[in-house]
Order: sequence, then structure tokens, then C-alpha cells
Amino acid sequence: MGELDGRVACITGGTRGIGRATAEAFLREGAKVAINGRSAEKGEQALAEIAATGVDPANVLFIPGDVKTREGCESIVNGTAEHFGRLDILFANAGGASNHAPVVDLTDEAMQDSMVWNFWHTFWSMQTALKHMIPQESGRIITMSSVEGKVGKPAISIYVAAKHAINGLTKSAAQEVGTLGITVNSVCQGAIETDIMATEGPPAAEAMGLTYAQLLDVFAQESAIKQLNDVSDVAEVCVLLASDAGAGITGSMISIDGGSSPY
Amino acid sequence: MGKLDGKVACITGGTRSIGRAMAEAFVAEGGKVVVNGRDAEKGAQCLAEMGAGDNADFFAGDASKQEAVEGLIDFTIERYGQLDICCLNSGGVQNTAPVAQMSDDEWQLEIDWNLNHVFWGMRRALQHMIPRESGRVIVTSSVEGKLGKPGIPGYAATKHAVNGLVKAAAQEVGTLGITVNAILPGLIETDIVRATGPDSAVAMGLGGYDDLIDMFSQESALKRPNKVEEVAAVALFLASAAAKNMTGCMFPVDGGTMPY
Repeated sequence: MGELDGRVACITGGTRGIGRATAEAFLREGAKVAINGRSAEKGEQALAEIAATGVDPANVLFIPGDVKTREGCESIVNGTAEHFGRLDILFANAGGASNHAPVVDLTDEAMQDSMVWNFWHTFWSMQTALKHMIPQESGRIITMSSVEGKVGKPAISIYVAAKHAINGLTKSAAQEVGTLGITVNSVCQGAIETDIMATEGPPAAEAMGLTYAQLLDVFAQESAIKQLNDVSDVAEVCVLLASDAGAGITGSMISIDGGSSPY
Repeated sequence: MGKLDGKVACITGGTRSIGRAMAEAFVAEGGKVVVNGRDAEKGAQCLAEMGAGDNADFFAGDASKQEAVEGLIDFTIERYGQLDICCLNSGGVQNTAPVAQMSDDEWQLEIDWNLNHVFWGMRRALQHMIPRESGRVIVTSSVEGKLGKPGIPGYAATKHAVNGLVKAAAQEVGTLGITVNAILPGLIETDIVRATGPDSAVAMGLGGYDDLIDMFSQESALKRPNKVEEVAAVALFLASAAAKNMTGCMFPVDGGTMPY
């Protein structure tokens, strides 16, 4: 008996990192899960690796698609519902930011890209998912924020602004659908060494005047545990929020940051 | 395989309502639990209803008294050999009033019950957990730990204070394998709320108990009170290995009431 038996989940991103760990946790708890990414090759690889853990391949699907477009988000969310027959859980997980700089030097393109990748993708996915969830009067939406959705650091304003915006969207949506059996929450994790972090971290560090190792240390040192978080830390909170037990939690920004955020 | 196999917990105020739901959730996952309350009769009834045999025990004592709180922790360690999870859950108000009418006695009671009890329990528990470099402290705070309502100034003040205590303690023991977190429930119709709610409603300028329930419900997104099981599920999560890297967290279980 899993905590998500019979549920269908859609995870944007999800071939690696936090989304992948969450997909595996949802599958462990009995859900059927669609994961997403731009690269069909990475998708096939993820499916093969997941199958190798003993998961029934019928319970997991890869949907290629670019979350930086409305069409991409709609096809990922609607594709999940079409394939598995319903949609219970959306984890709008994809995101990141490139071309960091202090505000004074920031390009419009960098801000635009971060807002599309993080915020617009979350909006498009959420809106599409709500159209499935509102008529069935049940659902769980989990958005990917960050400790940077609550606080700010110099030179990464494109990320900080987008994650704050996601938290605002989450709070409003939660109020809209609270009586319909649908919860909307965000997860606010501390730094985790995911693939995205390995790719985007070094240039972000450079914009902040730090080496990559120093950047990771800044995040570790601002926590109480003096270390980075794990992908499993976030995945397990997502299981809780997605489960029946999470019915009373909505509009919340759950900190999974080793004690970094002050609120 | 339970999520708390081999773990030992104590819970202040655990014979009914939220604490009782925590106790049942912990035992169902393989934990051993000592619950606490003032009334030995209710304690015996609780143990009988739980039917957990040797995996549950009761320690009688008033959670607003230092010797009772420390006694619960010492008893748990003596009874089961260790303490892994300390739930400081008891709390409430008795004769609340607006600040201008608040009595010294009520103020002191709320400070002792809601704040000092948590400090006494946390201190004693950490003295045991720090040498073992492992432990979980879980404090039942409240939505009123972030907000404030008229007529319950002591409750709001003590729950705010408890949140500060949790944040500071989390920073102190973060590298020692010990997490310290608060759960912030919205209104739940517990025994305490049913007993003291009617008087509290009057102090808050409301018509009666139903208006109190309605006020809290309407400020949430769910438009209903929360449930004890919803808090217990979060307590179980925070107590489990899955939450090893969550600390200093104010975990809301309030149906979308708090803005932050």
C-alpha cells in the first residue's frame, strides 16, 4: 500500500535531479508518473534507469517538450492526462537561470529567459493542470520555488525575482481552489548539487565574484546543518504534500533548506 | 518496516487530540511513545484505546510545570533507554482576555504552558540528544505564531516566542544530527479548544464558539478547520529519516491561512 496508489502525476523536467528523485518517490508510493525533458535521448536513458530499479515500465512515461513555451507546457500536462486517463498531481519542477549579473548590468534577455523558464512555465503548467483538477474537484499542485523565493542574494536577481513570483502565484491559486479539494504549495529548498546547479552554478558564482566551490560553501554556511540539501529531501516533502495526509496544507512555502530561511 | 522502527518519542499533552494522533502515528510506524497529561484516568484510557502494549506508556504531569516536563523526559529515557523524538505539543489558554483586561495569573499561565514548557522540555531533551548526536525536537506552535488576533494576546505572544526559540535552537545543533522544527496548525477542534473556545470567543468579541470556528475557517483557503491527523502526518514526517535535512522550519498546516 503506497501513499499515492492510483494517482497520476506530471513532473516538468524530471529526467535528472530533484524531478527525477521525486518521480521515483511517487512511483515507490504507487503513482503513475510522466516525466519531461527537451532531450529524447536523456528521456530514454531516464526511463531505462528507472526500469532498472524494478518499476513497471507501464507506470512511467517520458514526454519530450520545452517548458519555455506555452505549447510545451500544455502538451506535457495534457499528454500525461491523455496517456494515464487522469491527472492528480502536478509538480512544476523545471527551472533555472543563465547569464546572471548584478541588476545594473543585467540584460533584458537574461531576465526574460529566467521568468519564462521558472515563472511562465509554472503558470502555464498550473493553468493547464487546474483545467483537469477543478472539474474532478481534487488535485495537488506543487511548484518549485527555492530558499531564494524567500530571501535574496546579490547578482542572481533573475532567479530570486522569478522564484518570489512563483510563491505569489502559488498563494493566489491556493486561495482560488481551496474549497475544491485542490492544494497548491511550493517547495523552497536550499542549494542542491543537481545537474542544473553544476551547469549554471559556475557562471552564477562568477557573477557573484566567487568560485563555484565558494558559492556552494556560501549556501552550506548559511544553513544550520552546514551542508547542502539532497534531492531526496525535496522528493519526500513532495510525497507528503501529494498524499491524502497533505489535504490540510495549502498556500504554503515549505522550507527544505537545513535552516537557512528565516521564515 | 516502519518509518520509526527502534525510535523512542515523548509527547507533552498526548492523551487526546493532536498529541494523541501523533502518538498513534508514531506507534503505527514502529516507534515507542510516552504520552503525558494531568489526569491519570485519561492516561489509562488513552493507553487502553491505543492498545499498543509495551510500546506506549503514560506519564502524569502538568505541562505548565517544570518538574512535570523534565520528569516526562527523564521517565521516557528510563522507560525505553533513550529519547529520539521530543514532541512539545501541549498548550492553550484558560481565561484569555484583551491586553487591557488580561490578569497577571492568566498571563503567567500562558507563558509557563506555551513557552516555558517548550524551553524546559527542549533543554532537557537536547542535553540527552547532543552527546548522542541524533534527535528530533518537534514543537506544536500555531498559525498565531505568525499572526495575531484580538483577545488572545498571550497565545499569540507565546507562539511567536516559541518560533524564535525553535529557530535559534536549530542553529545551535544543526551539525549534530539534531533537527528542531515547529508545526503551525490552523484552528483544530481539539478538546482544549472545545473546553476553552466559548470563553475565548467572548474575549475576542465574537458571539460564541461557532463564530470562533467560522472566523478561523473563513480566513483559510480551505474554509474549514484543520484536523489532528493532518498535523500528526507532518510530525511523523519531521520525525522520520526523510526529514533529516529540514530544520528551523515553521511548517504550516493551516489550510492556506498564513501569508508567509
